[in-house]
Amino acid sequence: MKIRFKITSALLAAVRADLWRPHAFAHERVGFIAAGLASAHDELLILAQAYRPVRDEEYLPDPTVGAMMGDQAIRRARQWAMDDRVAIFHVHTHGGRGIPGFSGVDNRENAKFVPNFVSVAPQCVHGAIVLSDTAAFGQVWFGRTSPRPFIAAFSEIGMPVRSWRAA
Amino acid sequence: MSRLDRQSFLGAESDAILDAATIGLVGLGGGGSHLVQQLAHMGIGGYVNVDPDTIEDTNTNRLIGGTLADVAAFRPKVEIAERLIRGLQPKARIISVQDDWVAAVDDLKRCEVIVGAVDNFKELERFARRHLIPYIDIGMDVHDLAEKGFLVSGQVILSMPGGPCMRCCGFITDERLEQEAKRYGAAGSRPQVVWANGVLASTAVGLLTQILTPWYPNPPVFVFLDYDGNKGTVSRNPRMDLLKTHVCPHHPADETGDPLFDIRAQKFRPRPVMRSATAVAPWWQRAWNRLWGRAA
Repeated sequence: MKIRFKITSALLAAVRADLWRPHAFAHERVGFIAAGLASAHDELLILAQAYRPVRDEEYLPDPTVGAMMGDQAIRRARQWAMDDRVAIFHVHTHGGRGIPGFSGVDNRENAKFVPNFVSVAPQCVHGAIVLSDTAAFGQVWFGRTSPRPFIAAFSEIGMPVRSWRAA
Repeated sequence: MSRLDRQSFLGAESDAILDAATIGLVGLGGGGSHLVQQLAHMGIGGYVNVDPDTIEDTNTNRLIGGTLADVAAFRPKVEIAERLIRGLQPKARIISVQDDWVAAVDDLKRCEVIVGAVDNFKELERFARRHLIPYIDIGMDVHDLAEKGFLVSGQVILSMPGGPCMRCCGFITDERLEQEAKRYGAAGSRPQVVWANGVLASTAVGLLTQILTPWYPNPPVFVFLDYDGNKGTVSRNPRMDLLKTHVCPHHPADETGDPLFDIRAQKFRPRPVMRSATAVAPWWQRAWNRLWGRAA
């Protein structure tokens, strides 16, 4: 199966702009993207719909990581997945150019909280995405114990349409 | 030097971008056949060609690539399109669907751009929006002006996900849809001419090229162009500027994806390999065709 993530240029620009806002003590910002899903033969399409930032007060002071979310942020995202029956993708940015990758901390934290979304919206896949200033990289969870494939291709829908292979 | 060398101003990577792209072409009549021909010349690598019809005698005034032998052979329009493409792009990835577009949804979902040259544009635009696919609509019409003769007109609209749609720009109205529905039964008798189809299709191919590999910075995201065949002009509809910052209320972002999608019920299967419609037939079939006067 091939997984493609599609997002409009306008939404992607809004996400990037929000993630670059400074925070009082966290070194970086994080948020969530909701997406609809579609299948096409052996391809899974993840179609981004909207973005919600983690609120200022939902960050926990933790000098060992760039940003640490509190439980309330995850609860709100879980509620979003359940109420709107959407796929939820955690998003943050590493900046720079080219295709980014998850850090060791990203991998550890993603594995902790992404499976929580599967339990409230099991009809969807969920996952995490890391952005650079020019590209993105991501991983998808099909269930608590199922395989966690990487997103093979991204498409930014705007003028022009930009596509890149990420895995 | 490649055969695309004269369009190298489209960018150093334009050949690869155009070859990697897959374009959905819904409707392969007067407008669609022009599109097929031009996209093949441009070097587009992938096609999802959709049209339920076979060529008829009255199509030959405008269907590019169609011949009288094709009429005699009851050749499907998708086969004519494939033959046209293969003449320029022998290795093109072509999916031909001789059916309504709803029979090709899985193939169309994987397209970078969909171009519609059909009457039932409303649902096709919604489908494209739902899957975050830019949609270009072309259409022409001939209006009877009584003693003043006829007005040949048409439009080209780019409906980009997130931007104004065909209803936002006033092209789709309930009244118009009602008129289209009434006229649909008599579609075969609607006036169509090759030169107007050519202008509209060429304009659409220009837009499609801008979407894939633009040759100037910041081309408009929403495009609504009017064609006046009597004046010989293609001009920006005034709503194109008025709606520049308009947010479409008709296709909200939360509509994306397949309704009622459930990953647990999905069976992801590779697409069956298509048999080429223009593959060389075995000798006995060619002899049979020749005997009965059918095109090979």
